[in-house]
Amino acid sequence: VDPTNFKTCEQSSFCRRSRKVQSTGSKYAIIRGTVNTYSDSLTADLINKENHHQFTLKLEALVGSTFRLQIDEKQPLRPRYRVEHALKDEPKTTRIRVQESDELSITVGTSKAVIHGDPFRIDFYENDVLVVAVNAKNWLYFEHLRQKAKAPAEPADGGDDAQQQQQENAEAAQPAGETVDDPGAWEENFKSHHDSKPNGPEAVALDFSFPATEVLFGIPEHADSFALKSTSGTEPYRLYNLDVFEYILDSKMALYGSVPVIYGHGPERTAGVYWQNAAETWVDIYTAETNVVSSLVNFVSGSRKSTPPSAHFISESGIVDAFIMLGPKPMDVFKQYAALTGTHPLPQLFSLGYHQCRWNYNDERDVTSVSAKFDEYNIPMDTMWLDIEYTNGKRYFTWDKFKFPEPLTMIKNLTELGRHLVIIIDPHIKRDTSYFFHNDCTENGYYVKTREGNDYEGWCWPGPASYPDFFNPVVRDYYASQYQLSKFNTVTEDVMLWNDMNEPSVFNGPEVTAAKDLVHYGNWEHRDVHNLYGHMNIMGTFEGLQQRDPNQRPFILTRAHFAGSQRYAAIWTGDNMAEWAHLQYSIKMCLTEAVAGFSFCGADVAGFFGNPDSELVERWYQTGAFLPFFRAHAHIDTKRREPWLFSERTREIIKEAVKIRYSYLPLWYTSFYELEKTGAPVIRPMLTHYPLDKETFSIDNQLLVQQRLLVRPVMQQGVSKVDVYFPAVDDKKNGDYWYDVETFQRQERTGYESIPVNEHKIPVWQRGGSIVPKKERPRRASTLMLNDPYTLVICLDRQGKAAGTLYLDDEKSYAYRDGKHIHVNYEFAENQLTNRFIGKPNYKSDAWLERIIIAGLERVPSSATITVNGISQQLEVEQRNGAVVVRKPSIKMDVDFAVKLNA
Amino acid sequence: DKDNNIRRPRGVSLAKAALYQPQSDGSWSCLDGSKRIPFVQINDDYCDCADGSDEPGTAACVQMRFHCINQGHQPLDIYSSHVQDGICDCCDGSDELPAVGCANTCLELGAAAAIQRRSEAELHKRGAERRQEMITRGKQLKADRVARRSELQARIKEQESLKAEKEQLKTNAEALETEALEVYREQQRELDANTAQAEQEPQQMRHEASLSFVRFDANKDGFVEITELMIDMDLDKDRNGVVTVEEAKYFLDERERVDLDAFVTLAWPRIKPLKMLADGLFQPPQTEEQAATEAPLANEQQEAQLEIDPPTNEHEDLEDEEEHYDDEEDEEEEPDVGVGEALPEFEATTETTTTTPNYDPETQRLIEQANGARQALEEVERQLREIEHEVKEIEEQDAKDYGVNEEWAMLDGECYTFEDREYVYTLCPFDRVSQKPKNGGAETTLGRWDQWFGEGDNKYTRQKYAQGAACWNGPQRSALVNIRCAVEPKITAVSEPNRCEYSYDFETPAACDSDALAATARAHDEL
Repeated sequence: VDPTNFKTCEQSSFCRRSRKVQSTGSKYAIIRGTVNTYSDSLTADLINKENHHQFTLKLEALVGSTFRLQIDEKQPLRPRYRVEHALKDEPKTTRIRVQESDELSITVGTSKAVIHGDPFRIDFYENDVLVVAVNAKNWLYFEHLRQKAKAPAEPADGGDDAQQQQQENAEAAQPAGETVDDPGAWEENFKSHHDSKPNGPEAVALDFSFPATEVLFGIPEHADSFALKSTSGTEPYRLYNLDVFEYILDSKMALYGSVPVIYGHGPERTAGVYWQNAAETWVDIYTAETNVVSSLVNFVSGSRKSTPPSAHFISESGIVDAFIMLGPKPMDVFKQYAALTGTHPLPQLFSLGYHQCRWNYNDERDVTSVSAKFDEYNIPMDTMWLDIEYTNGKRYFTWDKFKFPEPLTMIKNLTELGRHLVIIIDPHIKRDTSYFFHNDCTENGYYVKTREGNDYEGWCWPGPASYPDFFNPVVRDYYASQYQLSKFNTVTEDVMLWNDMNEPSVFNGPEVTAAKDLVHYGNWEHRDVHNLYGHMNIMGTFEGLQQRDPNQRPFILTRAHFAGSQRYAAIWTGDNMAEWAHLQYSIKMCLTEAVAGFSFCGADVAGFFGNPDSELVERWYQTGAFLPFFRAHAHIDTKRREPWLFSERTREIIKEAVKIRYSYLPLWYTSFYELEKTGAPVIRPMLTHYPLDKETFSIDNQLLVQQRLLVRPVMQQGVSKVDVYFPAVDDKKNGDYWYDVETFQRQERTGYESIPVNEHKIPVWQRGGSIVPKKERPRRASTLMLNDPYTLVICLDRQGKAAGTLYLDDEKSYAYRDGKHIHVNYEFAENQLTNRFIGKPNYKSDAWLERIIIAGLERVPSSATITVNGISQQLEVEQRNGAVVVRKPSIKMDVDFAVKLNA
Repeated sequence: DKDNNIRRPRGVSLAKAALYQPQSDGSWSCLDGSKRIPFVQINDDYCDCADGSDEPGTAACVQMRFHCINQGHQPLDIYSSHVQDGICDCCDGSDELPAVGCANTCLELGAAAAIQRRSEAELHKRGAERRQEMITRGKQLKADRVARRSELQARIKEQESLKAEKEQLKTNAEALETEALEVYREQQRELDANTAQAEQEPQQMRHEASLSFVRFDANKDGFVEITELMIDMDLDKDRNGVVTVEEAKYFLDERERVDLDAFVTLAWPRIKPLKMLADGLFQPPQTEEQAATEAPLANEQQEAQLEIDPPTNEHEDLEDEEEHYDDEEDEEEEPDVGVGEALPEFEATTETTTTTPNYDPETQRLIEQANGARQALEEVERQLREIEHEVKEIEEQDAKDYGVNEEWAMLDGECYTFEDREYVYTLCPFDRVSQKPKNGGAETTLGRWDQWFGEGDNKYTRQKYAQGAACWNGPQRSALVNIRCAVEPKITAVSEPNRCEYSYDFETPAACDSDALAATARAHDEL
């Protein structure tokens, strides 16, 4: 992509204004005598000592070592936008204890907030360690709303004297006397686009320091390393949902999603900040390690303490609404964030299988024959996808009757094989007076409006298009109702959805998106809500699918996303390229998304743009098989690349990768259930479980699946070995055992190991101490494996112990929420495997336990004894492939049992 | 069939039944010999053998196949992953448990398959009669080509000696002419004065050609290609209402596309006369009389122009002459001082203003004589070229593979079309495939004859056409033609499975081979 089509901070007037404060600092103070304390919160008035404008501050204590800080104008000219629908629900507050001595402090359990009046600053402590400091740098910057001077301003960014003069006049009219002399304050241009900015300057910005940490991560979506890089001297990271094709790697440019949550991590503490703001946001990052000057100063001065990592959030409008999460461990803070914005609900199992997509499968015959080919080659595949060309001229909720004359038959052909269909429905609506959806939106005023009150018209796939205002609940209801089978009767309740282009993408708009001065429901400017547009779109889709079939869990894939979107949809990393580097970034990007709530993340397998060679295809399938969302996709101009179009060797490697994926479906499914219950990400960066090992802080080419698998896919061309890092659990280089999942060969040392790989090898290890449930009979679709038997793989730790959970239910309905499920923890110790049900096992499954594989035993047992209800039976044991296999325990999954190994 | 009652584990074929017998001690060895297990563990839904051979009837061993007997239809081996998955894969339903309720459809399917086979055989039989005609005709065509070729070889010899003779006559006549024209040499100096002007000509021509290039290059890719010329009706040389690919190719010097330089030097000289004709600026010679009068002018002009505009080798015919007239036309608009009579070759050539040069009668006679000799030589050369061209065509046809029995030869020269919603697709076997939008617009070449492309023994079931028009931002178009037997030749489907890679389904009696079909059927029955 050409980066000059997108703004730099300097080209975005609020960013350059807000960033200026980094050199001058600001002067805010709490006004004496305005502090009020309540059972769960504290309020105070804040003043800008330079322009004397007043603000109110509210600090609330939330359940789970989290504080919420809100700052708004005390008497704004107009209300300022407060983000809606991002939080899962109203956060639960908790009682505080207030202490007032030299400073004001409030305490909740082991957490404490200390408020400094002048200069204003709040320090957050976890167990007496300072973990987050708010406004420690005095970079708070809050542009209050003001009247525009009567003299009409000339078009901005011209910089001529007359214009300067006019703006100074405008400022002089302000009672507060503050000068906003930026030429882009009241209107600005980018390329050929004009932003009228009727509300003038209204930016908010604040800095957060993380004194107990060494590395910052989070704020997806960027094609960048997992660990955030210092932005001193470069562009800040940008959060502004944009349609960027062939995006640039190693870049801080904005992409399709914006999740303004950041984490700081060090060996002792992990903390986070969720900056709840849906306007365009830039984030400057300061990290000690890359700040050469400061570390040099520290070195010379002999000081041990370097400048702590910090983040400066800069948003164009709205209020300051920050959630400070105090950890103390990585998993704690991930869960604290999940408690605020929610988790992805347990998906239907099929959506964790393999997805086959292409822009486009041409017609019904194409869809049916591709599906049949997967069976011919015995490659599992759960879902066929249709991109935009299935529609009648890009009119969503319609079909191209020539290419798809009988969609219901085509869908039946798939569902009869246990497969699903996913179709795309984008939010751009074709402006065509013979299109019912357009007519409904026009007649009822459902479209996003221009500043003048007309329906906004942009250009997208259908040509001239308008965009429903999903912020209006009536519009959302209308949109959701279109999914009813009584209306959309050319699909079935098993057809799921893909919402693309929902940033929204506007081909002829500024930066390929909607203009900021458009007007939404509630009279909010698009500027205020931009990053939420896709979120509101998928809320409507989710609602529609739930209404269509209240007992089936919807599956939705979205490209745009904001904090909380994970409650409705999976995401993918958008329009990547068939290049090795893009393969490498798929892991980095999904790891960042996972800790920001989006565990259900994947990348287009083999790359959207371009034609991958067979080696890249092989490695991409192997990598994709270990990311939660596993879908092949390709641009319309690429060569067809279904597995059988490659050589037999490549086809076999693809098949092996897909089959491995299917064998681990019980683990993926269990992980997603536990994500819904606890907020623990499904895939995790190494530091999650090895927080003391500093080497893990920057590792983003390997990942953990829960705490059970370590995955380090081969992502380079032509290599015969990969360097894998086996992390330490303490500072003495002690680590876990790791067992190669294929050979059960054990890694006992920590540090980097060079692992030989051939073209078939996917370097994956199971952690010693874990038990992983599998199903070792991959079928053509995961839905057909419901009653197939389980295998338990037990890898022992240094004490000869292991534990791990399994979750199962009907894999499709909401009955699990009524307890119709089995959640069980398996424990192995003293040569005996036992199970302990978490809750009551309340689901009747025909599945049974097929075999138990145990790796790491000192000696091969002669036999095993299974005891169920006091009745014992001998089981055969054999050694296979470096592990011991207990043959056919043959018990149903809801039965209590014990399997004892006999010497 | 009582054989089917032989006891054997579920999922085992009759042929392998003997391998599934217990030892006297009730044990059984995996087929790979890797392990000995109790016979009762066969099909106990647990995979014991490394090769999976102990579970022929369940899904327990992933690498195993399940054998469906499918009595009444064809037996089938299915993947073990398809066993007991709730989907009826065997027509006898044997891959699923009774609870699934698979209907036994083997008899119906078997009957349908038999009908299908019979009608296939019938089709091939009827088609094979047509094919036989095609073979006869193809062999005749080949024999004709051989005969014609030797005939042409003989004529080439004749023409070559005739050519030598005419060359000699021309040399002699031109020597006399040159001598006679010696006296007019002085006027050469004045001619030189005009050379300066003539030298500007390439410049001007280039400018004009460049402008035209930009107009033709509709997709702005820096090349003018066939399709871009095909929309310009001025180039419809034979005035049949269509600019064909062949017509367009002529203007591009028989290339698919040309860049600016090639356009200026090769294409524009051919295009310009027709453009001028269209603009009413140029009238080609109307009568033989006029042609005769103007011929000397044309010839001299041609010589004078050699250094600026070398004639292309293949097409020094009438069009070339037209070009030169045409160039003269250009000069008409320039200041024309002091040339007039003395420089007839630069004289205006419109009918009304033609003037006869002031040569003395003897000189005039020698000139006419030389012209006659030149024309005679040209005529011989033209005929020679025509013959050589025909030989080349025959050689090209000989180089094409028309099948073992020449059964495909008749298709060369035929064209078939197929219409879908948007396009009319054309297949001219052994020549080209193309696509034309129904709502107007230029025809696009999807590929030119490349080779037979069938796999292994089925070489003659698929053709490849390559080197079609380049796709925007993509490869050159190409097409595969899948061929099946039918009594009437027809394209049955066209699709674009890959961007810019087309697939035709084509039926022709040439593909009907009842013997081969019978052989396949026999082989099948033996299984």
